[in-house]
Amino acid sequence: MKSVPIRMDRRWLNTFQNHMETDSGWSTWERFQLALEAAESQIIPDFDTLQCLRSLQGFEPLPHQIKTARRVLGDMRGRAILADEVGLGKTIEAGLILKEYMIRGLVKNALILVPSSLVLQWTRELNQKFQIPAVAHKKEWMWDHCDLLVASIDTAKRNPHRSKVLSKHYDLLIVDEAHKLKNRRTKNWQFINELQKKYALLLTATPVQNDLHELYNLVTLLKPGQLGQQTAFSTNYVAGKRKPKNEAQLRKEVQQVMIRNKRSDGHISFTERKVQTIPITLSPPERELYEGITRFIRDQYRQGMGLKNLLSLITLQKEVCSSRDAAFLTLFKLFQKGEQGKEELSPEVHHLVDLLRRVKQQSKVEKAIQLIQSIDEKVILFTEYRATQDLLLRSLTAKKIPAVPYRGGFQRNKKDWMMELFRNRAQVMVATEAGGEGVNLQFCHHIINYDLPWNPMRVEQRIGRVHRLGQTKDVTIYNFATADTIEDHILWLLHEKIDMFRTVIGDLETILEQLELKEGVEQNLKRIMLESGDDEEIRHRLTGLGDHIRRAREEVETENHRRDVLLDGTQSS
Amino acid sequence: MEPNQVKSFTERFLKAYDCRIIEQTPDYLQTQLSVKTDKDLVHRPFYWMYVEKMGIKPQPVTLTFAFEPDKAPPKIRSELLSFGSPRFSQILKSAQKNGRFVRLYENDSGRLRRRDESKPYTPWLGVNYKLSYICDQKKDEIIQLGIHLRTGDLLQGFFDRIRNREWSSKLPTHRHIIPALISVPEAVGEMEYFLQGIIEQQDLSWARSAEERMKQELARLDAYYPEEWRMSDELHSEKRQRIRETIRQYHPKVEVEVINAGLFYLDEDVSFHLTPKKHPIS
Repeated sequence: MKSVPIRMDRRWLNTFQNHMETDSGWSTWERFQLALEAAESQIIPDFDTLQCLRSLQGFEPLPHQIKTARRVLGDMRGRAILADEVGLGKTIEAGLILKEYMIRGLVKNALILVPSSLVLQWTRELNQKFQIPAVAHKKEWMWDHCDLLVASIDTAKRNPHRSKVLSKHYDLLIVDEAHKLKNRRTKNWQFINELQKKYALLLTATPVQNDLHELYNLVTLLKPGQLGQQTAFSTNYVAGKRKPKNEAQLRKEVQQVMIRNKRSDGHISFTERKVQTIPITLSPPERELYEGITRFIRDQYRQGMGLKNLLSLITLQKEVCSSRDAAFLTLFKLFQKGEQGKEELSPEVHHLVDLLRRVKQQSKVEKAIQLIQSIDEKVILFTEYRATQDLLLRSLTAKKIPAVPYRGGFQRNKKDWMMELFRNRAQVMVATEAGGEGVNLQFCHHIINYDLPWNPMRVEQRIGRVHRLGQTKDVTIYNFATADTIEDHILWLLHEKIDMFRTVIGDLETILEQLELKEGVEQNLKRIMLESGDDEEIRHRLTGLGDHIRRAREEVETENHRRDVLLDGTQSS
Repeated sequence: MEPNQVKSFTERFLKAYDCRIIEQTPDYLQTQLSVKTDKDLVHRPFYWMYVEKMGIKPQPVTLTFAFEPDKAPPKIRSELLSFGSPRFSQILKSAQKNGRFVRLYENDSGRLRRRDESKPYTPWLGVNYKLSYICDQKKDEIIQLGIHLRTGDLLQGFFDRIRNREWSSKLPTHRHIIPALISVPEAVGEMEYFLQGIIEQQDLSWARSAEERMKQELARLDAYYPEEWRMSDELHSEKRQRIRETIRQYHPKVEVEVINAGLFYLDEDVSFHLTPKKHPIS
């Protein structure tokens, strides 16, 4: 090659001559110097350094994330599948790459397509972690007027959005949850295929699930021809649906476009999770209330009350394990309902209110305070109920333990403020919600599950805020369990039966999908609690559910293992 | 830029753009922006439209900057300015937008001067160029050029040589200018020719390997799509699109931009003692 095309910018010359002719509009010596210095500070001296690292504020990417960004920018030339296992920070990697391209002026407009539930989270993360002014897509005009858009793929692929999106050239396209692009006959696949893009990042933890052709379709979307024509791919690499041949060759081809970090990689370390069960014995009045409510529900069940109402009654039983205050609210609603229909409150409800009134001290609260005092470090305490949250905050304040609340209903600002307070001033955060993926509580390493959600995803989310990449200390999880109550049963299932707290269950979402339950785990649990005649039956049916979950987990693990063997050449052990 | 560089740059910037410094300590700085700076640094176009339409006295914002995370002032709401923070990026952008063109006379040192004698100035055109080498990657280089508008002598590193001299915006008394013999467009042409030489004599292996990668990618696309006559219209346009994308991604090129430029009138007797570089290509 003799030379490269050169584009000389001469637009400035007119303005310059204008200044000369009119003898006006000149800048000053100091301003002239500042302009050159500003330009000098933004110069990119090399092709292959990571400039973005020096402009990041308040967070430091992990070594494997930096390495991934370098490989994508260097070896892969900006077209890659990021296939890290769940929780290793694919978003961070994509953010680093986008930021680097922006700093270098190679990306001026980018489209980030994600499931609609993640649009805001992505936008926030890009804004806060990377100072990338990305905007969440809301209105049709935004396609033309915003350079950096985060949008839901389901919206984008439908008209009138579709034609707008397809008419544009994007410097960078990022697709999160890209396993939704595994079938080339779907609208999703065809839409992404038609999009005009220079660089592209596809993010997925499961680049191949059921069929090797899924992998082919994903790679083809990114780099058509990397794995050859479809028929050639089938003859060369596919022995059976999930069974590859010429594995080494296939792996080599795939690794040219895919990066996959795993938890088991030596350099990525997670600290340990320690689990403690804190048993609580109810005082006689509390026990009476609990039994009273249990009896009430069983009676209602036998009398053939509607199932929907009954399931909400189970909530009452859950609540009474949390606190008297939480149960009171539900009971109060029942009371109101009763009054509408009848002249008088039913004697059963009346009786319960009586029992409730008799509870003066709450064993669980006392235990919590004791425990927090003995920990003497930062603690995040989770509860399911607002009333319990208020009660705890009151009790902590009375003991002069500085505590802040956190709940879903707070405005963004208030949430950030509470986090700041927790970090800098308070010992305890009493939270009813785990907060989004972006919420980062690594400075804390004690979690109290004051009561347990019956939905395993929510349990994992709670722990995930604290025990995550970057946590440098072991994390202790304290589970409160009131003896001889349904809480005891649930903890038994989650802890003893499926060992949910101690080990990181890789992809819980996939496992739960694998269960193929008609209703969620939570509903199932409620049903079990309601329908079982006694503790023995409860235990029996929970064992069934637990085994079911364990099997699903094993299946997912086998599947993951098979994927690892295929993608990384990991030998079976 | 390190925090202390960010700090000194910001201080100079605020001063140069007539912002009022309200309070300045080693750790933070409080300032009321000038109108011009407010428009550049604080995005509120509707406010300015309103103020200008209604003829109201404008109220530029007051900002407090801290330069290191753990040294923020207590009790005052401050923002951290660091390289990469949005506000500092705006400062850099504003500085580049407003410091583009100058015409300056070297300050009279007073030496060798008699009252009744007018001393001449020699005209130079100085241009600071940014060269960007672009393929699927990118790097930049700044080249400062200066050209003597009478002799056509061309100097690299021009700006660095005049950096430490004193400059004035107005023609001092008892001074006159020797007229240029070369027009500005001609001079710019010379500079561009010179730059072209620099670029072409450089190591172009980056461009060659980008070209090579592009060819490989295009060959792969060719192998992937069926022969021309077997392709449907859709497939045809898909292939064309893939080819366009590939070219956009890899095609090597150099873009030359002007950061800023100026007419500099230098004292003749203290003009450059160093011999100007000769044209690399003749």
